[in-house]
Amino acid sequence: MSEQIEQAILRKYDAGFVSEVESDTFPAGLDEDVIRGISAMKNEPEWMLEWRLQAFRSWQKMKEPDWAHLGYDPVDYQAISYYSAPKSMKDKPKSLDEVDPELLRTYEKLGIPLHEQEMLAGVAVDAVFDSVSVVTTFREKLEEAGVIFCPISEAIEKYPDLVKKYIGSVVPRGDNFFAALNSAVFTDGSFVYIPKGVRCPMELSTYFRINELNTGQFERTLIVADEGSHVSYLEGCTAPQRDENQLHAAVVELVALDDAEIKYSTVQNWYPGDENGKGGIYNFVTKRGVCERNAKISWTQVETGSAITWKYPSCVLRGDNSVGEFYSVALTRGRQQADTGTKMIHLGKNTKSTIISKGISAGNSSNAYRGLVKMGPNSDGARNFTECDSLLIGDTCAAHTFPYIESSNPSAIVEHEATTSKVSDDQLFLCQQRGLDAEKAVSMIVNGFCKEVFKELPMEFAVEAGKLLEISLEGSVG
Amino acid sequence: MLSIKNLHVSVEDKEILKGLNLEISEGEVHAIMGPNGAGKSTLGYLLSGREGYEATSGNVVFAERDLLDLEVDERAQAGLFLAFQYPVEIPGVSNMEFMKESVNAVREARGEEAYTAAEFLKLAKEACKHVNLPLDFLKRGVNEGFSGGEKKRNEIMQLILLQPKLAILDESDSGLDIDALKVVAEGVNSQRDGKRSFIVVTHYQRLLDFIEPDFVHILADGKIVKSGGPELAKEVEASGYAWLEKGEEATA
Amino acid sequence: MSQWLANVLERSSADAGTLSSLREASLAKLKDISWPTRRTEAWRYTSLHPVEKLSLKTNAEVSEQFDAPEVDDLNSIDIVMVNGSLQTSIADLKLPNGVSICALNELEAGAAAKLNSAKPSHHLFGLVNDVLANSGLFIEVDAGTVVEQPIRVVNYTLDGVEAHSRVFVQLGEGAKCSVIEHGTGSEQSLNTVFSEYVIGDKAELEHYRFALHGGQAIHVGGCHFKLHNESKLNSTVVGYGSELSRLDVDIIHAAEHAHAKMNAVYLLGYKEHFDLHTNIEHTMPNGTSEENARGIVGDKARATFNGRIHIHRDAQKTLAELNNRNLLLSRGGQINTKPELEIYADDVQCAHGATVAEISDEALYYMLSRGINKSKALVMLNFGFIQELVNQMPNKALANWLQPQLRARFEEMGRQ
Repeated sequence: MSEQIEQAILRKYDAGFVSEVESDTFPAGLDEDVIRGISAMKNEPEWMLEWRLQAFRSWQKMKEPDWAHLGYDPVDYQAISYYSAPKSMKDKPKSLDEVDPELLRTYEKLGIPLHEQEMLAGVAVDAVFDSVSVVTTFREKLEEAGVIFCPISEAIEKYPDLVKKYIGSVVPRGDNFFAALNSAVFTDGSFVYIPKGVRCPMELSTYFRINELNTGQFERTLIVADEGSHVSYLEGCTAPQRDENQLHAAVVELVALDDAEIKYSTVQNWYPGDENGKGGIYNFVTKRGVCERNAKISWTQVETGSAITWKYPSCVLRGDNSVGEFYSVALTRGRQQADTGTKMIHLGKNTKSTIISKGISAGNSSNAYRGLVKMGPNSDGARNFTECDSLLIGDTCAAHTFPYIESSNPSAIVEHEATTSKVSDDQLFLCQQRGLDAEKAVSMIVNGFCKEVFKELPMEFAVEAGKLLEISLEGSVG
Repeated sequence: MLSIKNLHVSVEDKEILKGLNLEISEGEVHAIMGPNGAGKSTLGYLLSGREGYEATSGNVVFAERDLLDLEVDERAQAGLFLAFQYPVEIPGVSNMEFMKESVNAVREARGEEAYTAAEFLKLAKEACKHVNLPLDFLKRGVNEGFSGGEKKRNEIMQLILLQPKLAILDESDSGLDIDALKVVAEGVNSQRDGKRSFIVVTHYQRLLDFIEPDFVHILADGKIVKSGGPELAKEVEASGYAWLEKGEEATA
Repeated sequence: MSQWLANVLERSSADAGTLSSLREASLAKLKDISWPTRRTEAWRYTSLHPVEKLSLKTNAEVSEQFDAPEVDDLNSIDIVMVNGSLQTSIADLKLPNGVSICALNELEAGAAAKLNSAKPSHHLFGLVNDVLANSGLFIEVDAGTVVEQPIRVVNYTLDGVEAHSRVFVQLGEGAKCSVIEHGTGSEQSLNTVFSEYVIGDKAELEHYRFALHGGQAIHVGGCHFKLHNESKLNSTVVGYGSELSRLDVDIIHAAEHAHAKMNAVYLLGYKEHFDLHTNIEHTMPNGTSEENARGIVGDKARATFNGRIHIHRDAQKTLAELNNRNLLLSRGGQINTKPELEIYADDVQCAHGATVAEISDEALYYMLSRGINKSKALVMLNFGFIQELVNQMPNKALANWLQPQLRARFEEMGRQ
């Protein structure tokens, strides 16, 4: 029966199509002129350009990290184009009617209709295509509540004080190699500001699409939840099926001021490459949030795509009584490699964090959890609970767990547990005896394995995530 | 010996005991019976001083001292003993070492001399035999890997060694077969000397066949709703606790 | 390269008789090595600064006679080394039939070639030991021999001395024996001891490594085990920690159906530092391993634990468990722990857990309710936490000797 599971993995990637859109694309290469060019395209103020240039200068002195359990050919940063935008976006369409229908069709095909009347009720979407935001829906409705939800390029123009105050406040521009690169060349992404005491009236969501060949995507998202506010945000990502590897290096910064709450969910489905490891997205992402007093940040991620995933959504629990959560499902198959996890930095008193990580490895893939729980000297009464489970499907994959625990406070409590298991022949036999085919059975078992994480996703997306896993596992059972 | 007046107790802001009164004199055995959730275990925990059990009003005098003013260990030193329903396991601390520390702490508080290791070993061996536990239980970690019945007997062994003024037995019969129950009851009965008092908390009348109480109280919804002699326990045995609800309706 | 390492290379002489080829190979590796910094994963929490600032005698004469520590009822065969030199005359030892012991510098070529068969070459100080150790023991237990008396190797390093030594033990098929490695020192010194154990088919080794170095005594060492078919290992490691104390343990399941159990205890106070790295390699199917490491840290001490389990592609049906639990008693102390799983086979059962926690409230309440005061109860509970592992030591005489020493050390430890 295990042989059935070990059968070759037939890959089916629904989002692998290419949109026929004419684009303005910078020639490949990176130097200060390219950065000036990006900044000019975005009509940025001088301070923003200066910030980018300083990031670029520190990046030039930095070394690409090699500590992750990942193996890939070196990226040639001069062979990538750092800006690409559909020509039709040049004149900044004022409404959906002015947007190139081909772009709208792209999102429709991905199951993200951008016409408000067709959309999921209660979800506002910012659609980012290569280096620009195509459209942001429900803006007026959000404005009524005082919520700002717009492309970050627009925020730099319209709300310079807010952006200036918070950009780089969580992930400094020289934080790490990829964050520095992003700070230098970021093109678009979303900006969210929730005013004091406001509960955002709808789910916010950004949908990232890489389309152009040999283009990197470097989006930057900044979410600021002012005191006592609440927001739930979701991002989705896809890319066409191409033989070349493409680079995605994003930065996400979350600021949860006193008593605020941010829920950030990701369904990552970048093109993972084919079964021989050809093509696929290199996903190097820095995501981090700061919690002030009584604040809460909850990261939920379902990672099924990308050839390489390097991603550690983290929480700095600075304020007393603040709470950090990380719920993750990472599925790798084919030749995918993932090194993902979180950091929970407990600085304040009575801070709490929970980490639930579910890794599923199939095919010839490698899936690693890497996490840090740090209890600072003043984190009196802090608590962490971590659970990392790995599921192996077939005997050619790999699952790893690298948790770092550092404690300097005698009243802090850290508990970490990790287990590994396989889909057992007994489980499969039981399901099959009850009339389920092997594929359905595996998918059911995997879904059960991930249940703790799925229940954290916003309702609208939990179903989608479940389906995504099903599609991803299709063919992993013979 | 023990006087509880209008005791209100809350756990996590929820009121469990709602005005409990109880007077216990030297040498008396009081049984407290009642349905699940009536607050039976809460009484034992509150009297022993467990954290999280807060007396919001009322007072408790034990051996002429204000019990609620004392720390957990001071209460034990003053002669109060609680036999737990679910004794905790403490691997790495031997039963012998634990009991010696405990007995000597209580003796010193009474102004008596601490036992030497040899003296205590002799006493512990006797107590161990008394409750029918093999002697190697003295060397094992406190309650470590003991069965439910063995844990209960280990509690009674401590009762015998500590010689308290008042012993509270919290469902010491639960989960025991009839033979184990007899051992527990016999251990308790051997400690009835006309001066030592007991509170026997139980759901069933079964234990009271072996440890005959002087008084029986029915605890329901945080209060003692009925008191009487041993015959009250028999009534409960015959009719269960369902009559309580009817009774409440009748008074309402 | 550090000045210290450059000095090591200079001091080492490749002209070392039967050890020459071992030295040449390790010298070549050392020349290529980059000196660890905080970015070097294996030394992430341990600075080598204390080593670099030393200036010690490397060739110290010993005039005094040192005896092995007195342990009631242990009845062991004792071999004492002082400052890296054998003090016991091996020829005078009364060895049981089937046991032979040879000094390192008198090894025949065939025996010398066996060195490093269990010790991996990535340990920096293992390489340093290779090129500097002039003395040590090569112990062979013949097939089928059951040695009743434990063999105890005691290592003293005196003030101002740098000393290196090693131990190699080979157990033939079905052999059984117990080896105790006892190291101590407290004054300014540096000592490396690397030991290797090749455990033959169906053989059983009971092993103890006591790294009871304190104060300014720097100790860097390793224990490396290679397990063959159906062999068994039961090892207990005890560490105190000093200015720099580091121990690397490798357990390699080189054949099927081997079973390894390891318990480790560390008890650190003052400004002590102890770094325990353990690595269990399951290269073949049907092996089991079970590891429990527990530590208590007080004062301004720092403990580091890194426990890796590596299940190779062929190691199906492996059962591996690792548990690390820590108590931090003081505000100035620090605990860093990293259990690691690296798994390449699917039909295995692996788990690890790590905690840094306080004593359970329930256990404390139970003790208080029996009249024991809080400070005493905490001492009993905290100490009970490591005593549980001491109680599991198969050699009761040794456990009875160790227990009061640990207790005294624990009671001295500051909790501020």
